Amino acid sequence: MSKDKKRIKRRCKKTLDVIITYCILIIVAFIFFFPCLWLILASFSKSGSIYSFDGFFPKEYGLDAFITLFTDTVMYNYQRWFLNTLFIASCSCILGTLLTILTAYCMSRFRFKSRKAMMKTTLVLGMFPSFMGTIAVYLIMTQFHLVNQMWGLILIYSAQAPMGYMVQKGFFDTIPYSIDEAARIDGASNFEIFRKFILPMSKPMLVYTALTSFTWPWSDFILPKMLLQDKNLYTVAVGLMSLGETEFARFAAGSIIIAIPIIILYFCLVKYMINGMSAGAVKE
Amino acid sequence: MIIVNKLKKFIISIGRFFKEKFNGAKEIIKEGDNKVFASFFVMGLGQLLYKQWVKGFIYLAIQILFIVYFVLTGASDLFGLFTLGRKEGNEWYGIQGDNSIVMLIMGILSVIVIIFYIALYISNIKDCYKTQCAYDTLKKVNNFKDDVNNLLDKSFYKTALALPVVGVMVFSILPIVFMILIAFTNYGGDIVPPALVDWVGLANFKKILSLGQFAPTFFKIFGWNMLWAIMSTALNYFAGLGLALLLNKKCVKGKVIWRAFPILAYAIPGFITLLGFKFMFSYGGPINYYIALLGGEKIGFLGLNSKWIARFIGLGVNAWISIPSTMLLATGILSNINNDLYEAARVDGASAFRQFRKITLPYVIFATTPVLISQFIGNFNNFGIFYFLRGGLYSDGYFLASDTDLLINWLYNMSIDNNYYSVGAAISLVIFIITSIISLTVYVLSPAYRQEETFR
Repeated sequence: MSKDKKRIKRRCKKTLDVIITYCILIIVAFIFFFPCLWLILASFSKSGSIYSFDGFFPKEYGLDAFITLFTDTVMYNYQRWFLNTLFIASCSCILGTLLTILTAYCMSRFRFKSRKAMMKTTLVLGMFPSFMGTIAVYLIMTQFHLVNQMWGLILIYSAQAPMGYMVQKGFFDTIPYSIDEAARIDGASNFEIFRKFILPMSKPMLVYTALTSFTWPWSDFILPKMLLQDKNLYTVAVGLMSLGETEFARFAAGSIIIAIPIIILYFCLVKYMINGMSAGAVKE
Repeated sequence: MIIVNKLKKFIISIGRFFKEKFNGAKEIIKEGDNKVFASFFVMGLGQLLYKQWVKGFIYLAIQILFIVYFVLTGASDLFGLFTLGRKEGNEWYGIQGDNSIVMLIMGILSVIVIIFYIALYISNIKDCYKTQCAYDTLKKVNNFKDDVNNLLDKSFYKTALALPVVGVMVFSILPIVFMILIAFTNYGGDIVPPALVDWVGLANFKKILSLGQFAPTFFKIFGWNMLWAIMSTALNYFAGLGLALLLNKKCVKGKVIWRAFPILAYAIPGFITLLGFKFMFSYGGPINYYIALLGGEKIGFLGLNSKWIARFIGLGVNAWISIPSTMLLATGILSNINNDLYEAARVDGASAFRQFRKITLPYVIFATTPVLISQFIGNFNNFGIFYFLRGGLYSDGYFLASDTDLLINWLYNMSIDNNYYSVGAAISLVIFIITSIISLTVYVLSPAYRQEETFR
């Protein structure tokens, strides 16, 4: 008898637990989803200003914001901004990934004299408030005549990328050494080992690195704001920042267009992301 | 205690390093033949005498290039680093003066070039000595093809690291050195080029700590900054971990869908989120609309007088942005835990809560310590949040800052918006020292660092 009671009690407890879990999940989902929904709705509002909304919801719906975004380019040339951002982000992604992966591989596989010193130095330098250096970067760029040029920005992004090699190094550390040794017995040089064995094995890490070094320039605003003063060279981040409350719908539409590629990338690659992050974290 | 030991070890290791270098140099001088000495005077000459043509000429070219650079600009650049310019420009009389700031940067650049040159010079001598040793024992000298193969195999790291090192030197280290040096000058305010900048020693630090203008603001902001970093790191960490554990529960169906919502938040570029929330809490925004609808008075959530409201909004928005990444990280780590452990615990009759406390928590905390540090530092220097939410506001009782601003925002206001470059640089140095002490200590003490070699 008492055994049955206990079982019922346990089952009640379990159901209650499930109900509470789902309640929390629904609340969490709502918190994360609602602001996004709000922006999506706002981008379809007919009038642009935030003052003509009924709270979170626009009074009338229409595609006006998207149309003006691409047609009304006198004040805000969104198309240009978008292409600029795409160009800068893609180039820095390719160069930055290459440099970061090479750095991480060397730090993981080779034991040379200055290695420990280099690792500590990068760690300490990473603590420095990065934009304090931007004044110096700006002055250097003026010296080299690279202000108001997209290549200048690409150069900076890809040159600074190797500083964040730690996660990738953590990943390479987990690839067993026996692979290197086996390859070396077959007469492969270190370069060949890297190209033929390590690189194909580290696809998740490559994807993770490429993604992070793409999203950084894609959404950075301090450097472009400083280095690209010409309105035609604006990136989307700088451009959207210059929109006020009366241009809210246009802001929402512009944001959604720039966010969609990243969101799609993230959802396709979320598995790689989790692997990459945790691989780097365990032995960062 | 451990730190003292570490320091002792560090000093001893430096001593050993120099001793090794010294012994190496002694050996080369004692044993080296005439060809090695030729390399002392003209880079690459020794290699040429050993008939290593390509390498010899490359070294020779490096020396010639360096001499040309040094004569043309290097020497004056280096000199300019000390004087920071002596001739003041004057537009009225058409005098082209010295630009102190450019001179400072070019001076640092010349130091970097000289360091690279010295490194190459030493490598040249060492290389020649190595060739001599090989010649004495094997009667054979590496040709150029062997050298290239060596650069792709044994010394592949030299080839691969060359470009990253140069890039980091110019775009990360040079700017940081520049800012550190600026902290010891009087650059800023009225003293910007064409006026001449000068070295002033520690005056800027004294100004921050003593002068009426800066000190009260500094300490007020510093207190809030520490509080912010601790609160936001704790909130993000535990909420993210909790969310991951919740999604990891067996009873949750459709994990992929539930997980999609935080990932969506994670994927949206940060500045869009921040600007969006700014609109949401703005005076004419939707939240105020509902307050007005219910008969309340509109609130300036992010206005001048809403110190704590704005602070909590910042905390919430930051959590919205950062929790998903912690969640993803914790999800990855949770999936790495060996299932046998739970199996064993279940056999022993441990309750679910006990399993969590004894297995899950220790493992997750061990694995995430380094991330926790970097998150703490990231939050300490979280520039974006209050720049976007409340940028451009100056509160009463604060000098060029608002009551939500972190040190890094203050820094930005002072140096970029208001020209207080040298004081700003001094503050950034203070931030740097605080954060690097915290993180280096934790990093050196963390098991992840100490056990690096155990997996080899």
